[in-house]
Amino acid sequence: MKPVIFTENLNVGYDKKVVVEQVNICANRGELICLLGPNGSGKSTILRTLTGLQPPVTGRVEINGMDIATIKKAELAKKMAIVLTEQVSLGLLTVFEIATMGRYPHTNFLGKLSKEDESIVEEALDLVDAGNLRNRYYFELSDGEKQKVMIARALVQEPELIVLDEPTSHLDVRHKVEVVSILRKLCLEKGITVVLSLHDIDIAIKGCQKILLIEKGKVKAQGTPEEIIKTGTIQNLYSIEGANYNELLGCLEFCSPVVPEVFITGGNGTGTGVYRAVSRAGFGMCCGVLHSNDIDLHVARALNCDIIEEDSFSRISEKHYQAATAKMAKMHYVIDTGFPVGKTNQHNLDLIIEAIKMGKTVFSLSEQSELSNRFGEWSEKIRCCKNPAEILQSIPNKTEIRC
Amino acid sequence: MESIKNRKARQLSILVLIFVAIVVVSLYSISVGSINISIPDILSILSGKAVADDTFGPIIMNIRLPRTLATIMGGACLALSGLLLQIFFKNPIVEPYILGVSSGATLFVGLVLLGGFSFGLKSLPPMGLFGGAFLGAMLVMVVVVFASQKVKNITTLLIIGMMAGFICNAFTSILTAFADKEQLHGFVMWSMGSFSGFSWPQVQFLYGIGCPMIILAFVLSKPLNAMLFGENYAISMGLSMKKFRVVVILIASVLTATITAFAGPISFVGLAVPHMVRITMGTSDNRILIPGVILAGALMTGVCDLCARMILSPIELPLGVITALIGAPIVVYLLVHKTKGNEL
Repeated sequence: MKPVIFTENLNVGYDKKVVVEQVNICANRGELICLLGPNGSGKSTILRTLTGLQPPVTGRVEINGMDIATIKKAELAKKMAIVLTEQVSLGLLTVFEIATMGRYPHTNFLGKLSKEDESIVEEALDLVDAGNLRNRYYFELSDGEKQKVMIARALVQEPELIVLDEPTSHLDVRHKVEVVSILRKLCLEKGITVVLSLHDIDIAIKGCQKILLIEKGKVKAQGTPEEIIKTGTIQNLYSIEGANYNELLGCLEFCSPVVPEVFITGGNGTGTGVYRAVSRAGFGMCCGVLHSNDIDLHVARALNCDIIEEDSFSRISEKHYQAATAKMAKMHYVIDTGFPVGKTNQHNLDLIIEAIKMGKTVFSLSEQSELSNRFGEWSEKIRCCKNPAEILQSIPNKTEIRC
Repeated sequence: MESIKNRKARQLSILVLIFVAIVVVSLYSISVGSINISIPDILSILSGKAVADDTFGPIIMNIRLPRTLATIMGGACLALSGLLLQIFFKNPIVEPYILGVSSGATLFVGLVLLGGFSFGLKSLPPMGLFGGAFLGAMLVMVVVVFASQKVKNITTLLIIGMMAGFICNAFTSILTAFADKEQLHGFVMWSMGSFSGFSWPQVQFLYGIGCPMIILAFVLSKPLNAMLFGENYAISMGLSMKKFRVVVILIASVLTATITAFAGPISFVGLAVPHMVRITMGTSDNRILIPGVILAGALMTGVCDLCARMILSPIELPLGVITALIGAPIVVYLLVHKTKGNEL
């Protein structure tokens, strides 16, 4: 079977100027393919070429094995539908009327709808969960609803291929998820091929079957999300500065200051919130000892913290314990995140006790009642706080320390 | 929120209401003037029966009826032309004269009235005027249609039309600078528009061009609806942009050129009526807007023409004055009171 959309050595651009070179796309029935890249990387130009809205500089686009340039627009409209980013002023049309316009290539010159046409429209509106909006005016809709209606309109064309340009931009999280879920449903249940551009990293990684990374006029990599998303890919792709992207967790963390001033333990996710709070307050931190498989470690790394790392599932070694003690000695404050204690991380409790012995100010987020179980007689010297904010109130803020 | 059924019923009743209003205004318009003729007398004359005063017949049949019919068709054509162009350019303040058509006509009328050119029609001054105006309008239109096939961007086309207008205006200004007072007055009055003095051949010509264009516009309602989504969506739905462009510009320009040639530039009908209809009908669907705009355009021009004749009777005011005075406040009122979703 021929691929629904196929390009080979396609160079796209305006007039003779190539914007993105060597685009090779091969999408089969029911696949969801995503072009991922920063603004201005040429995603929209590729999509405009794929949809025949602008001619390729060199190479060709094939739809079901036919060159798109040779297909009549009216015929092409039955094979392919588009959803664009451009704002449309459809003020006084109702949702139903807008969706109906998708029948354009199928109806006669007056656009008269048959019973079948109407049921196709109803079905499309239900599929995008917009059936309840059918009599509303377009201007009354939210951005998310508008996007769903435009997808319904595309569906009504009964295409084999839908091309969408940034369908999730300016949508809230709920609608982002909803739009992508709808698109996945179209692929899986209706066998429609979907090609879209995104700059939402999470959604691309988690929702699409194939990704093309577009950067500076080149297709940098393509394949399944697992094949192409490696540590550092996204960081480089978007040239992010002042923040780190963790591909494993799919989260972005703002870098904390480089010079550590607070030592914080962690483990089992108890550290994540504390690290972020302390970083936001403008303090650099040293975190340890954390196991390689702990989520706290990944967050701490994305935050650019100084980390003492221990192998997964191993007892904290003497070497790492000593390293942590040495680093702790240089800090003013130490925070116990109230981590659960097991056989492998027993040593972290000793670290806190060591801190008290050194005369550091030690805070704990454990329950007051737990403190004596954890630290015995030392617990009296520990200041127990309910949340990170309370701790930060007790620490003089950054400017005061400097003075 | 009203149901779809109610909305359709409301739209239909508005159409019927406007139609009835046109009939009433037309009859009234035929009845009043320097000699008032009663409605029963008008009806008898129209149905071919004799009436007591035999001067009534010629007054109605030779003067007032052709004028009224011309007003109806003229208003309909201008409003329709405005609607087509507003959608085509995706711009709510576009009007039929934006493409320079009226400036072309004005320049050529200026050549006739001020410059003494007769375009080979020396013996027939009224037809000479018409011929000049039509020629001027068509020349500008040909330039714009030609440009529409060359330029990619619709906004560029709009600017070309406007610039063509400016150039024509500049030449017109040169003519007025050299013209003498008497001629200038006639020219200025012409340039404010009037439906007075329509003869039967002119009415026939007007209907002969207007009716086919209106039918053509109905056929275009589906692509016009697609055009509401913007050029890219329209193409993706299978619209052939090249043909569509030429046809829309052709219809709009021919209609405008014809009206301008006979009645001079009549401002505001083409701009205001589409807005009024869109807002009162509560839809952007051209299958409803086109009939609505045709009827409302006819009504508005009919009412304005009546006012122009009545207000300072026996002196007749230029039609353009009335259309602006009535049209502008109505548009502002509608836009202010129904603020949302009225872009197009």
